[in-house]
Amino acid sequence: MSSDTVPATVYTDATRAKGEVIIELDSVDKYFGDFQALKDINMRVGLQEVVVVIGPSGSGKSTLIRCINRLEKHDRGTIIVDGIELSDDIRNIQVVRRETGMVFQQFNLFPHLTVMDNITLAPRQVRHLPKKEADDLAMELLERVKIPEQARKYPGQLSGGQQQRVAIARSLAMRPKVMLFDEVTSALDPEMIKEVLDVMVELAEGGMTMIVVTHEMGFARAVANRVVFMSDGQIVEVGTPEHFFTSPQEDRTKLFLSQIL
Amino acid sequence: MTASAERAPVLPEGSALGWIKERLFRNVWSGAVTVVLIPVLIYVGYRAFVFIFINGQWAAVSRNLTNFIMGRYPRDQTWRLVAQMMLLALAFGAGAGTGSGTARDKAEEAGLVYVPPTLAGTLRRFWSLIAFVLVLLVMAGSTGPWLVAGAAVVLGYVGWQSWRLPRSLRMLSWLATALLLLAGFQVVSGTDGMAWLPVALAVAFAVWLVVPVERLQAVMRPVVSLVASLAAAAVVFGVYQVIAFPGIGWDQWSGMHLTLWWSAIVSALAFPVGLLLALARRSNLPALRYLATTYIELIRGVPLITLLFMGQFILGFMLPAGTNLSSISRSIAAGTLFTAAYLAEIVRGGLQSLPPGQAEAGQALGMAPTTIMRKIVLPQALRAVIPAMVGQFISLFKDSSLLFIINVTEFLSVRGIVHAQPDFRVIAHAETLVFVAVGYWAFAFAMSRESQRLERRLGIGER
Repeated sequence: MSSDTVPATVYTDATRAKGEVIIELDSVDKYFGDFQALKDINMRVGLQEVVVVIGPSGSGKSTLIRCINRLEKHDRGTIIVDGIELSDDIRNIQVVRRETGMVFQQFNLFPHLTVMDNITLAPRQVRHLPKKEADDLAMELLERVKIPEQARKYPGQLSGGQQQRVAIARSLAMRPKVMLFDEVTSALDPEMIKEVLDVMVELAEGGMTMIVVTHEMGFARAVANRVVFMSDGQIVEVGTPEHFFTSPQEDRTKLFLSQIL
Repeated sequence: MTASAERAPVLPEGSALGWIKERLFRNVWSGAVTVVLIPVLIYVGYRAFVFIFINGQWAAVSRNLTNFIMGRYPRDQTWRLVAQMMLLALAFGAGAGTGSGTARDKAEEAGLVYVPPTLAGTLRRFWSLIAFVLVLLVMAGSTGPWLVAGAAVVLGYVGWQSWRLPRSLRMLSWLATALLLLAGFQVVSGTDGMAWLPVALAVAFAVWLVVPVERLQAVMRPVVSLVASLAAAAVVFGVYQVIAFPGIGWDQWSGMHLTLWWSAIVSALAFPVGLLLALARRSNLPALRYLATTYIELIRGVPLITLLFMGQFILGFMLPAGTNLSSISRSIAAGTLFTAAYLAEIVRGGLQSLPPGQAEAGQALGMAPTTIMRKIVLPQALRAVIPAMVGQFISLFKDSSLLFIINVTEFLSVRGIVHAQPDFRVIAHAETLVFVAVGYWAFAFAMSRESQRLERRLGIGER
């Protein structure tokens, strides 16, 4: 889907091997009160890998990726991101969050700031980047998501698809090693879904490590290295897209696929 | 009238009869209401007219205008009030001009069209105040007050021209505005007893200036801002030792002058305290949370009048022996404690109205909790509660009339001076009351109008 004339932006780290484990979840359990949202989750994600998580609503997909950057606290098991184990230590948590970008279903842009300020806020406040450098970085990212002309507008003046692309640029501005996508196209009008997915495809082609919770099966088929199917808080089945969509093994997977395809 | 213009199609063009039928006698019930209300309104209007222009003994007001404005303030020091008025006119003009310039910068940056404020708009917002001042001037019946008012208008206009300043001078222009306000205060209060005020302000300004320095490491910031604020305080204190300008402390202020300053000072002090209380009430630390909650619920359960009394009688026991706070200072403390509790609840409402996704987005970007609060949550939360906060300030302004119970002659209790005069001992009680009521209303209404504008201006770019 990417253009042949423009060289794709590279998100890889030359010093590290493709496939080196960057996210590691071991026997992770998560409860909301008495309800168990995650049951014994074990998962490894390697550098430059694109993992797509699918499953019925309420199956724990969002909770899973929200545990990876500690927006939710897991109750048992270990989560290690780039060698750092998530614990109650706020400093560890902040380091992990700086390395993992997250894009939300509802965009969560800051409505009182311009697009430019939305993107530069974190680099300036967290990475202490000077204004000039932060502005240059923001413009570069806005060009990458193809809306440089909107830089001075407020989020409320943009369409949903444009807002979501700004949200992606805002995450990229922290130069994360991993990107987490939480149903980022679910709140969009159909005609705007493609422009957001295109940006995500380019990210994947540039070598970004991604975990994507989505209902877009076309995206899963085309981009994913692995598809993870979750149901009732458990990982039911994992496989390559071809395997997953053509010959699923588990009954629950077959039922889910028959309902949505 | 504009609404009737929109309905024009159903009515004959320019027909008064049509308007009356449509508006007043649309059906039996509206007709009945009209038949009852119109005579009542005519009667009330007639009685008001008779009271204001025929029977009213307004000499009780017009011969006491100076009393209403400055109460028991020493008359040989009136020049200070005039000088204060001039400085404040300049300061308000400069503040409005600089604010307008800042708004224009922001709009231009966002590629929006900036609509500059118009004279008509300003008149619409402040007509109640302008009308009140005109009534005062007409009643005064001499040229002096007209000259003072005219000079204030001219100075306000001069200050307003600060909107023309280039962007690079905007910060300087804000600083100049603040200094003018301070000078306005101290031209009356003098520098001797009130040195703590500029020191406190300098400290606040230094901290505010230093904290946003982004290259500083988080640990260094408190140190640097502490050093900066101490240095600023030392400089101001030194300057005030050299100037040593004697003045009239606020324990001698009175009348409308005191009412306005008391409300402004208490509002300015209560806002930061209320903000901190609101944050404490939402804190993760149970001790802080319970303390803030207890404080807020205790204060909100007690009438202001009780707190004012307690300020007079109990504050003395809690302060070190020998501290001699004036009644006004005690009442400012009591008013601040009271208003802060209410503001805290208002701000808490604003904090809770924000969708959790806003703070989560900040967290996901690795921001520190204080950064999220300062840059994401508070700007949005405070904007959302401007109307409620201004409502609280208006309420405080009117509550300043309770100061009479601790023997402070504020605006309302100037009536006591007036009706102690032999000429007005038994007559004109209604006239002075109406005058005072109109005075309060003129200011309160202007505040309310200004808050509506502020809300609109800060809402720039939002849906």
